[in-house]
Amino acid sequence: MTVMKHEQTGEVDRIGFTGPSRAERDGPGPATAILSFRWILVAFVLILWFVYYPIVDNFVVSTKEQDIFTGETAFVGLDNYRRLQADPVVRTALVNNTLYALISVIFQVLAAFVLAALIEGLSQERWRRFWRAVYFVPSAISITVAGLLFYFIYQPDIGLLDAALTLMGLDGWSRAWLGEEETAIYAIVAMSQWQGFGYSTLLFAIAIQKIPRELYDAAIMDGAGTWRRLWNITFPLTREMTGLMVIVTITGAFQVFNEVMVMTGGGPNNSSQVLGTWLYQQGFIENDFGYGAAIASVIFVITLLTGFAQLWYTKKRRVEL
Amino acid sequence: MKGNTFSRTSNLAALAAATLVSAGVSAAGAADPAVADPNAAIDYSGTVSVLTKFGLQQLSPFFVNAAKAYEKLHPDVTVELIQESDDSVKGKTKALVASNSLPDVYFTWTGSWGENFVRGKRAVDLTPVIGPDTQWGKTLAAAAVSAFQYNDKLYGIPLYLDAKFMGYNRRLFEKAGIGEPATFEDLLAACAALKKSGITPVSFGNKEGWPGVHYAGQLLAYNVSQATLEKDFVPATAEFADPGYVASLQQFKQLVDECSDGAGTNGASYASALQQFSNGKSAMYYQEIIEFDQATAEGALKPADFGFFKLPAPKDAKGDIKAIEGAPEGYMINAASENIPLAIDFMRFVTSAENGKVLSAPPYGQPSATVGGYSADTMNPAVVEGLKVIADSSYLMPWLDTANPPRVAAAWLSGLQALIGGTLSPEEVMQRVKEAAASSK
Repeated sequence: MTVMKHEQTGEVDRIGFTGPSRAERDGPGPATAILSFRWILVAFVLILWFVYYPIVDNFVVSTKEQDIFTGETAFVGLDNYRRLQADPVVRTALVNNTLYALISVIFQVLAAFVLAALIEGLSQERWRRFWRAVYFVPSAISITVAGLLFYFIYQPDIGLLDAALTLMGLDGWSRAWLGEEETAIYAIVAMSQWQGFGYSTLLFAIAIQKIPRELYDAAIMDGAGTWRRLWNITFPLTREMTGLMVIVTITGAFQVFNEVMVMTGGGPNNSSQVLGTWLYQQGFIENDFGYGAAIASVIFVITLLTGFAQLWYTKKRRVEL
Repeated sequence: MKGNTFSRTSNLAALAAATLVSAGVSAAGAADPAVADPNAAIDYSGTVSVLTKFGLQQLSPFFVNAAKAYEKLHPDVTVELIQESDDSVKGKTKALVASNSLPDVYFTWTGSWGENFVRGKRAVDLTPVIGPDTQWGKTLAAAAVSAFQYNDKLYGIPLYLDAKFMGYNRRLFEKAGIGEPATFEDLLAACAALKKSGITPVSFGNKEGWPGVHYAGQLLAYNVSQATLEKDFVPATAEFADPGYVASLQQFKQLVDECSDGAGTNGASYASALQQFSNGKSAMYYQEIIEFDQATAEGALKPADFGFFKLPAPKDAKGDIKAIEGAPEGYMINAASENIPLAIDFMRFVTSAENGKVLSAPPYGQPSATVGGYSADTMNPAVVEGLKVIADSSYLMPWLDTANPPRVAAAWLSGLQALIGGTLSPEEVMQRVKEAAASSK
């Protein structure tokens, strides 16, 4: 910030002196440069060790068959990846993760965006604050606690959901939501939307607040209605946030773990397995860490590609004021 | 969205664990197996770390109190406890193995679970200190000690005995006008009578998968011979071809459909089913003897109203109808421990007759494996009676999910959930088990 001040205004920043100091005029000396590089190096080593080394090592582990008890390892090349192709549970998990991503994008990006726009369109600040808080509350609950909460809500006969259905005269819809293969994953995804919806809404609300009010005033004077303003002003000017939310939502959907473990453990009959829980099952239950690492690699590649695709799209369509 | 942050953390943890495997396991299994020395001098200083399966609120004080008492006897010793629940101890143990961080003393089941530690040379051979002729060995039930025998050596320290029984609510049975069923067919008839009286016959939660496996295990013992079962537990000889397997699964499906909530049981947890039984909302609950005290600890079901019987055998059973599903549970000493004599001494203290009496009595109700480690005066009478049934049994059928290799166990777990849900037939479940066994060879 200090450098910016000098470039733009050259204002006084030290008592008795004006303009940049000699050191700043001459640029950093060799000693300063080395010192700066030292700190960058520390960060670089930490990132290498804690971020990149585990990724590379995970690929190495995925080419081995390991017995964690004896420590014996055997190189199996790409066998674990061939197994992935033939594993029906991996297919189920991929479908579940994709469903999770699609539904999450609909609710946590599109619906959250519309809701945020509606809230920010309210005339009184106290009502805006109130609705933001109302929608944010579920996000303040830990996903594990929310999972447990919904485990009870979904219980047949004694759960709140079935009680509500009975009250509405829809007893026929009552079922073991988490106990049936057809509904288990949808019940988990629904809980996740409830939990994450408010957080996305809040982020969109912040992005919308940054849009200059004059643009809306001008549009109103030109006769633009609510939806026209939403589509022609709000949406383009929050595109970066939307892009970010899509990345975070999709990558999050492929990394989902806690809610599935708490609510179904991947069952019944592996019907609600996602890649994360199947990875855990293979590594920590079936002692097959090589295969688990191969699943981890798939998750990594999917989330990385999603990230790149979204970054590319957002950069291409960026709108600046 | 916020939740995704947590999810990501867990996945990274799994990734990191996979890394630990590659970095850590090479150090394991290379050394010669450690053997306990009965004459080793005990250095009463330092720390003894212990991984227990007593993480539940009502069980956790046992080890906490034992640790405090041991520290009082030996002020320079600190006992560090890692207390896990029945479900979490599996994942925790494997994470600790993968990172070569097993504590000095750790919980184990019998069967293939315990064998893993022996195979990996991670357990101390305790034969010289716990064998039948040793001072310590004479204080423990010989059958319980021998349940941890691998390669003719003894590796485990049994803490308590366990077996599966059908607990029932006497008042609800009286209300429905029924008595204890003598056969499997009688049990189904009892379920029909209870339903007619508006009572849920059996509360059953199979979200975890293993509760269903426990039912199946007992039925397998009734329908398949012991020799065949034990041959099929070993991957190299496993066939799972005996027709008794399919018959057992047919009986299991019938039991679930006629006595419980059917497919809905896959969405209910074992603990919530126990709660339903304790609250008097169901007439029966298939439970371990170590849970008898929990079933009547609080809630509507009073100890006087609690009864139990062994899951009755079908009339045409071709296996061993005197068998019961169960096994002792115990602890092993880490072969890599820096103070093996101290770790052994701590467990000798924990398995003393005095501590055994505490463990066997309410609120713990875990029947001690120590000779003289329980007193009928202080114990729940139902636990005392249950111990007699165990003693009269001809064969202790091990838990299917710990007797089989992990891949086969996983096939049992998911297969039985599919059977309950109606998506697989008994024959298809057995096909899945056979395929898992073939891939485990």
